[in-house]
Amino acid sequence: MTGRWRALLRLFAVQGTWNYERMLGVGMGYAAEPLLEDLKTVDPVRHGEAVVRSSEFFNCNPNLAGLALGATARAEYEAVPGPQIARLRTALCSPLGALGDQLFWAGLLPALLGAVLAATVLGGGWWAIAGFLIAYNVARLATGIWSLRTGLEAGMRVGSAISSSWVPRAVAWVSPVAGFTVGLAIPLLAAWYLKAFGAVGAVGALAVAATGVAVTRWFGPSLTSVRFALLAMALLLFFRWAGL
Amino acid sequence: MSELPLYATLLLIVWGTAVALDLVSVPQVMIARPVVAGAVAGLLTGDVEAGLRVGVLFELFALDVLPIGAVRYPDYGPATVAATALASGAPWELGLGISAALGLLLAALGGWSLMMVRRSNARAIQRHAAALAAGESRAIRRLQYGGLLRDAARGAALTVLGLVLAWSIAQFVHFDRRTAVGLTLVAIGSALAAIIGGAVRSAGRGTRLKWMVAGLVVGILLVVLR
Repeated sequence: MTGRWRALLRLFAVQGTWNYERMLGVGMGYAAEPLLEDLKTVDPVRHGEAVVRSSEFFNCNPNLAGLALGATARAEYEAVPGPQIARLRTALCSPLGALGDQLFWAGLLPALLGAVLAATVLGGGWWAIAGFLIAYNVARLATGIWSLRTGLEAGMRVGSAISSSWVPRAVAWVSPVAGFTVGLAIPLLAAWYLKAFGAVGAVGALAVAATGVAVTRWFGPSLTSVRFALLAMALLLFFRWAGL
Repeated sequence: MSELPLYATLLLIVWGTAVALDLVSVPQVMIARPVVAGAVAGLLTGDVEAGLRVGVLFELFALDVLPIGAVRYPDYGPATVAATALASGAPWELGLGISAALGLLLAALGGWSLMMVRRSNARAIQRHAAALAAGESRAIRRLQYGGLLRDAARGAALTVLGLVLAWSIAQFVHFDRRTAVGLTLVAIGSALAAIIGGAVRSAGRGTRLKWMVAGLVVGILLVVLR
C-alpha cells in the first residue's frame, strides 16, 4: 500500500468539508484516496465500493482520525465484507471522539495554553508563543503518524490496539497538568491586566468577574461568557450615557 | 487605531483568512488561537503590546469553550486581528475595552458564519450525492476543495468587515477617559469570569480540581513575590 504520507498530509484537512450530515465523512474520503489507489488495479469494483464507504458519515477527533482511516483501508485490502467495515467505522466514532477530545481539546491544548499565558505574562513573549506552537505541533504530528501506522497495522483489531496503547494513559496524565497550568495562569493574568488601574479599578474588575462566574453558571448555556461581556459593556455604556 | 499602510492592511487580511481557516478546516496548527493571532497581528500593525493584550484577553474567552463535535463556538481568529488593529497605537488601558467589544461581536458573527459554511457544505454534498454514491474520487476532491474555498472566503470577509468596522470606530466613536477605562475593566472582568468558569467546569471534582487549586496557590505566590 502506497500513499501513506499523502494520506497523512490530507488528514491535516480532514475537517475541510465539515457539515451536519456526514461530519468528517468527505474529509475522510479525501484522505483515504491515496491509500486506496493500489486497490484500483487489483480490484476495481472493490475500489469503487471502498471509495463510497470512505466518504460516508464519520465523526471523531481529527487528531486520531488516522486510526480509523488506516484500519478501514487495511480492511478494504483484506477484502473484509463491506457491512463489517461500515460497522467498524461507526463503532470507532465514539471512542476516538472521546479519547481525542480529552487528550487534545481538554488536556494538551489547555495545558500548553495555560503555560504560554503564564510565560507571556512573566516576559516570555515570542519565545513562549513559539514554544507553544512547536510543542503542540510536534505532539500532534507524532500522534498523527502513530495513528495512521497503528490503524494500518491493526486493521479490524484496531479497538484492542487503541485500548492497550499510550492514549488512555496520556489522557489521565495530561488532565491534571492542564488544571495546574490554567490555575497558575489565572492570578498572573489578573495581576498583569489590573496593576495598571489601582485598587479601585482592580476591585471593580474582580466584581465583574465574580458576577460573570455566578450568572453564567446560573443561566447555563443561554448566557455564554461572550454574551455576558457584551451585556455588561452595554450596561456600562447605558449608565455612562445616563450620567451615572 | 494607527494609520496602516496598504501592504499592512493586505497582510492583516491574509493573516485573518489564514487564522479563520486554521480554526477548523486546515491545517489546525493553532495559529487560530487568539494569543498567536493577536501577537502576529500586533507585529503587522507595529504594536506588539496591543496584539498581546488583545490576544491574551480573547484567549481567556476561548479557553471557556471546548470545540467538541458539533458544538457551536465563536471564531476568535479574525476577531482578534480586527480588534488588534483597532487597539494598536493607543494606550492599551484606554483602547482594550472598545476593541474587545468589537472583537466579541465579530467572534459571535464568526461562529454564525461557520455554521453557514457547514450548511453550505451539506448542500454541496447533496448536489454531488449521485457522484459520491458512484464512488467518484473526483467528486470527493471537488467537495473538499469547495469546502476549503468557502471557509477561506468566510475568513477573508470577516477580516475585511472587522477592519472596516475598526476604522469606522476609530474615526467616529470617541469615549471620555472614564468610559474607555470602564469598558476595559469590564472586558478584563468578563474575560476572567470566562476562564474561571471554564476551568472550574473542566476540573469537575476530581484530581484536576486539586491540581487547579495548587496552580492557583502557586500563581498567587508568584504575584505576591514579584
